[in-house]
Amino acid sequence: MARPAHPEAMAPAKPGRTRTAPPHRPPKFPMQGRYRAYTLFDATGAVYLLMGFGVLHAVRTLGDGEVAWQALLSGWAAPLYVAFHLLALVSVLFVGVRFFRLFPKAQPPRIGPAKPPPGPVILGMLYAVWIGVTALFVGILSGGIFG
Amino acid sequence: MKQLLLKIEPVVWLLFGQGILIGTILLTGWILVVNLGVPLGIVSADALAYDRAHALASNIVGRLVLLALIVLPMWKGAHHLRSLSIDFGGAGRDSVVAGALYGIAALGSLLGIVAVLAL
Repeated sequence: MARPAHPEAMAPAKPGRTRTAPPHRPPKFPMQGRYRAYTLFDATGAVYLLMGFGVLHAVRTLGDGEVAWQALLSGWAAPLYVAFHLLALVSVLFVGVRFFRLFPKAQPPRIGPAKPPPGPVILGMLYAVWIGVTALFVGILSGGIFG
Repeated sequence: MKQLLLKIEPVVWLLFGQGILIGTILLTGWILVVNLGVPLGIVSADALAYDRAHALASNIVGRLVLLALIVLPMWKGAHHLRSLSIDFGGAGRDSVVAGALYGIAALGSLLGIVAVLAL
């Protein structure tokens, strides 16, 4: 009676490379269906990078003295700057809303002995912090607090 | 370059993540008042008169907030633009693009530290 064949008897001496299909762009990429929000979320990177340099410019100008500082604030009333800063505001709100929505989904089932709070509670806390810090920051900067 | 990018990845991700979270939270108030409110006359110009603006910016909390407003959005921006570049152009040129973008963010961060300390 013949012995049963070894399960690896027909295996090649060296495992071959796993064949994978070449990468291809999904048909709706970049601006159709759910890819639109994905692409726009990444594209806000350009606005954030420019905003970082904008704040850097403001800080350096503040260090240059009163005349330079007043000229900077006056210059920001130009339509091009207003348009960019409105775009920046929309970008920041878009990023915040989209990113905070991910938090409840990204929670582990348990954190040590405790379960994370329900999704709506986490989302509510994030919005409370966002609105609270913004209100505080606006209050301080506009002179309502420490005026 | 690829090895270096892999090594600094945890730091980049930390700055990127905080750029989205803290950057977004801080930028909202900054844009509303400094970029739009005062220049458009919605907020009184006295609120950001030079002496007051300098006093707010040059204390320790002000410096930290300004540094966060400079550094974190830059890294969020650099990393998201890298991701966009991979999506549109593939990973073939990623080392060059990532090196350039992170280099810009690193230089900006360095200039930010100097500017905030010099206030």
